[in-house]
Amino acid sequence: MSRNDEETYVESQVIMSTVKIVTPFVLTYGLFITFHGADAPGGGFQGGAVIGTVILMIAFAFGIEPTRQWLDNRVVVGLIAGGVAAFGLIGLVSMARGGAFLEYRLLPIHHPVKYGIEGVEILGIAAIVSGAVIALFFVMGAGFATSAIVEGDSETAVDGGERE
Amino acid sequence: MSDLVVATLVAFVLLTALTTALFRDVLSAIIVFAAYSLGMALLYTYLLAPDVGLTEAAIGAGVTTILLLLTIAKTVRPSTDALFERIDVPALVVVGAFALVLGVLALPEMPAIGSEQAPVWANPDVTQYYLENTYDETGVTNTVAAVLAAYRGFDTFGEAVVVFGAAVAVMVVLHREAFT
Repeated sequence: MSRNDEETYVESQVIMSTVKIVTPFVLTYGLFITFHGADAPGGGFQGGAVIGTVILMIAFAFGIEPTRQWLDNRVVVGLIAGGVAAFGLIGLVSMARGGAFLEYRLLPIHHPVKYGIEGVEILGIAAIVSGAVIALFFVMGAGFATSAIVEGDSETAVDGGERE
Repeated sequence: MSDLVVATLVAFVLLTALTTALFRDVLSAIIVFAAYSLGMALLYTYLLAPDVGLTEAAIGAGVTTILLLLTIAKTVRPSTDALFERIDVPALVVVGAFALVLGVLALPEMPAIGSEQAPVWANPDVTQYYLENTYDETGVTNTVAAVLAAYRGFDTFGEAVVVFGAAVAVMVVLHREAFT
């Protein structure tokens, strides 16, 4: 791992060990909030945010850049876009069966309303929010991309921020 | 006792909000802002809105703080010779007048917490309908989740798309084509 002057990341044994121990519990807690959202306080939005925080913690322990390279872009895009698609599809299934958008009782599953709501919360909202939290973190952590700026003023593009 | 707790939390929230605005050092402002979010989360939970409190704790105190810290790490830090921001008098007059009008005219009109005269109880048709029929109609016990995902499902779909749009908008603004 090459470090340049701007990188302030320090390989701290304390932080890395703490994150290794705490992360599974945070992930479990996020999943718990998500899956129990229908019967207890919480739900897809809150649980998704906590699940997304797991990646943020890993990035703080092991460096943002290594974590970016480890996590495939398709995973993040799949979470966000797949979440929107899943939410929309669940709504469209009931329309295809002759009802209104998101009319859960027409879904062809056991306990359609209950599991329809759970499906929207878990597959839809939790996926979108966790993906968006991870995506915003990585995009902002990267700053301005050098190659994507067409104007060609690359002197401030690496460390970013000075432009606006 | 409960009045004392609420008063303490409100005083804490007001104090942290004021210091967030006044601190000249951005890092200090972000840390105090996280404390403000934590106070708001406690206040929501104490006022029996745990769903909102959970969101405030996760998004306000957690994710927003990290994103703001990341932002100042990527930007140039201004020289901080003074601890507090100088107070802009015209802005203070405008904001103060607004707060005064709100405090004198709007605040006394608000129903007390738990009052039966509150609109949500005085017009019980909608609220009572949700509270009484949620379990029979949807099979879930958390009415908030039922309203979000079932009764107001189409609105929630719009909100979900807004979150999706926010992620795309940040990519567009930062000239990036991939998240990682």
